[in-house]
Amino acid sequence: MKTIPSDIGGEPAGAVDTVDHGMKHWERQANAFRSVVQMAKITCTDELRRAAEDLGDRYKNMHYFEITTNAMRTVLLEKGLFTEQELAAKMADIRARFNVPDEMESPLKKAARK
Amino acid sequence: MSKTPHDYYARKPGDHHDHHDHSHAHDHDHDHDDHQQPNPANEHDNGPPGDYEIMSRAMQELLEQKGVITAAQVAKRMELFDEEFPYHGAQVVARAWVDAAFKQRLLADGRAACAEMGAMLEAERLIAVENTPDTHNVIVCTLCSCYPRALLGMPPTWYKSRNYRSRVVFEPRAVLKEFGTELPDSVAVRVHDSNADMRYLVVPMRPQGTEGWSEEKLAGLLSRDMLVGVTVPRVSA
Repeated sequence: MKTIPSDIGGEPAGAVDTVDHGMKHWERQANAFRSVVQMAKITCTDELRRAAEDLGDRYKNMHYFEITTNAMRTVLLEKGLFTEQELAAKMADIRARFNVPDEMESPLKKAARK
Repeated sequence: MSKTPHDYYARKPGDHHDHHDHSHAHDHDHDHDDHQQPNPANEHDNGPPGDYEIMSRAMQELLEQKGVITAAQVAKRMELFDEEFPYHGAQVVARAWVDAAFKQRLLADGRAACAEMGAMLEAERLIAVENTPDTHNVIVCTLCSCYPRALLGMPPTWYKSRNYRSRVVFEPRAVLKEFGTELPDSVAVRVHDSNADMRYLVVPMRPQGTEGWSEEKLAGLLSRDMLVGVTVPRVSA
């Protein structure tokens, strides 16, 4: 009986794209950030995977690094490294720095997250 | 040093240097300013940063502000993605091919054998699995992306993909075929599912026609895909 969304071994799926597309720059940052956080013993692979699995039905429609980034957010909030308010403020700060529209506030994206 | 048009990781003036931390181990001399430069090989991601990109960057900056990590530590890890790939694994297997005693140590305790060669594994255990005329091995992490990074560098996109993780455990021959690897029916295929504490490395069969080759030349024959088990080394006649 399947209980967690990451338990996909044995499911039917399409052909494997055997080309390595590498990582986008932000994915490299996310990956390196995760390594450093783990080396600082703040969290571990199993804990991050549990947080990823908490995504439930959202898991299957998210990209790999979206899943891992969301999991990192969950764990760091749980451990009190920062608050939701601090994270929201910092994200707004970064958006302003790059002058990017706030996609999280887009009505389309909000509807999609429901 | 030229700035790329989409250098979203450019910091406010002075910001970058404020967080510098030189306490991490230095194995070579270099200019830290280079750390923030995107790798040209990965410059296919132009366009405005997305939600998760901003979230990830924000989390890093918050932890920097709180003194938990430093920007230099993250930059150093990003640099290592390129440096580590993928030579340690090839060196270890080439050594095993020429040195039977080393191969025995590798198969008995992969972590200790790799440490002999200066490759420090991130997981508790490394299990080296040897291909033979009767058995072919392939590795996967069905739950996420556990992978012997210290030996093979960062996992390729397909290793993390839903299609590979789902299918290789129940139809490995079909998946291997997609990589151009066709195995005779007489060869058993073993699929090894990795986890956070236990990683695998495939030791391919040394191809005929490599008698007398140096360890270095043998290592040059080995690719990442062979050490994951989706392809096998061949020597062109």
